[in-house]
Amino acid sequence: MRVLAVENLQFYYGTSLILDEITFSVSPGSICGLLGPNGSGKTTLLKCINGILKPAKGRIEVNNVSLEQLDRQEIAKNMSVVPQQTYTVFPFKVVDMVVMGRSPVLEMWQKPTLSDRADAVKLLTELSIGHLAERRFNEISGGERQMVLLARAIFQDTKIMLLDEPTSHLDLKNQVKIMDLVRSVAVDRGITTIMTLHDPNLALHYCDDVVLLKDGCIMDMGEKNQVLFDENLSTMYELKVNVEVTRQGKKVILPESWQEKNAYQERSLPYEKVQ
Amino acid sequence: MNKTLKFKSSKTREQKLFLLIILILLVTFFFSLTVGRYELEWANILKVIKLKVTNQPVPADLFTDDVVFWSVRLPRLVMALMVGSVLAVSGTVFQGLFRNPLVSPDILGVSAGASFGAGMAILLVGESALAIQGFAFGFGLLAVTLAYQLGRRCRTDAITVLVLAGVIVSALFTAGLSFLKYVADPYEELPALVFWTMGGFSTIVWKDIVMTLPVILIGMLILFLLRWKLDIMALGDEEAMSLGVNVTKMRFLYITFATLIVASSVSACGTIGWVGLVVPHMARLIIGPGHNQLVSFAAILGAVFMILMDTIARTISGGEIPIGIITSFIGAPFLAYLLWRQGQE
Repeated sequence: MRVLAVENLQFYYGTSLILDEITFSVSPGSICGLLGPNGSGKTTLLKCINGILKPAKGRIEVNNVSLEQLDRQEIAKNMSVVPQQTYTVFPFKVVDMVVMGRSPVLEMWQKPTLSDRADAVKLLTELSIGHLAERRFNEISGGERQMVLLARAIFQDTKIMLLDEPTSHLDLKNQVKIMDLVRSVAVDRGITTIMTLHDPNLALHYCDDVVLLKDGCIMDMGEKNQVLFDENLSTMYELKVNVEVTRQGKKVILPESWQEKNAYQERSLPYEKVQ
Repeated sequence: MNKTLKFKSSKTREQKLFLLIILILLVTFFFSLTVGRYELEWANILKVIKLKVTNQPVPADLFTDDVVFWSVRLPRLVMALMVGSVLAVSGTVFQGLFRNPLVSPDILGVSAGASFGAGMAILLVGESALAIQGFAFGFGLLAVTLAYQLGRRCRTDAITVLVLAGVIVSALFTAGLSFLKYVADPYEELPALVFWTMGGFSTIVWKDIVMTLPVILIGMLILFLLRWKLDIMALGDEEAMSLGVNVTKMRFLYITFATLIVASSVSACGTIGWVGLVVPHMARLIIGPGHNQLVSFAAILGAVFMILMDTIARTISGGEIPIGIITSFIGAPFLAYLLWRQGQE
């Protein structure tokens, strides 16, 4: 069974080729990371999968149905999206943002009921951000905003979830917090998750499978431990990268230059300590 | 437990605000019925209503009261109420739809386009209410489509670009209307055109209401039914799409019906500026930005605002001041205040 499959996808932005010969599938319930340098087409691929961008060639199948045969409402019943940090022009309440996840099951003249709102508050409480429910979305912190957008995607109650750089703009603590949550939600609810990531360490720690993109093509893909090794990563990022092992036996990806002896060590230059 | 309590209290707060604004509307409406060049007394109003209802002849001493109440003041107030609601609702819809707190039917060129269309109809067809509304709607739609497409072509800072695009389109249609006045027959058509473009409610009779009410009611009802999805539209196209909204279809519906009601109101009483910009802001400050409540609240607040403006226009001086002057005097400083406040945040 394939929850999501991309076959021979080609996408042009204007006349420039952004994605070419993209073929991969995601197994049910797995967490798949899309890795690649800036401009490799990660976000474009995610938008193609969501049907927001129309590919020039190729097809995308959701539960063995071609995406072209689904309208917006049906696509949204199948997959939810956690966008990159959004800012809203109007300061909606957090609970109003979350309840929007019900939109795909409502006709255009319908609106969420009071019990939908209560469900949204309940979900926020489950994610231990219930205290944010009545706050304004624009007034909460970046990490909290990302949590709320994740809550909205969960509230959409889909089998597939797409996340676009869920950790961008977040500090270390919030990165870990949001990724822990994504992982546990995906595992607990059996949601097939696809996310674009900048940091290969996050992929190493949180994903099951990874797809490496370079110049709009798939460079390699598969189970993370078989794909995320020195040569592959170095070729992809065009930077010498090593996979090291910590004392606990966990893998960490580090640029090679950081590990050279005397690299930026104890500056002996006359610099003044900040008083 | 604490959460649900808070949740409930915010519900009742909204209900209280709705109750309050409806009360204010009633008070404003009945107060405005009595004041004007000819003061109507409550007792007399009740008498002429009673006479009308029981279908009795009007005695000579109540004759003026009867005419002023039934033929002048009541239709005028009803129209002001309708137009205020229409402008506020369409302003709310346009601001949400375009994610732009600076737009309104007048800024987007809808009003100018509709005025031009109405002028065309007066010249080509004569003063047929149906033709005037039809033409106003067609050109209003053309104007907002032009502004929207023009604004979309430029990828930079969309908020001000859309406003500029509206300014351009408005200028075009305002010039078009001036041209129509220039070529109009000075004895037959020009007076009708000038009389109509002056705007305001001084010439409103029941026939105007009968001609516009159906269109306005249908348009308002549809926008009211579609109001919740505006929250999602206000997040931007891509996010709305991923939440299952057919953005193209919804945008078409919102623009069409918001333009329809504005065109209908313009066809009856010309262009009245600022209301569509200012009232949605006031409503948002009071009830919050969620369109579920905002659309209805703005509709009532718009009615209150317009009735007050019209009452000021016809009572503040010996003659009648064009209502556009009053709304500008209130609206422009209010927008300045909003800009200043945003700068503070």
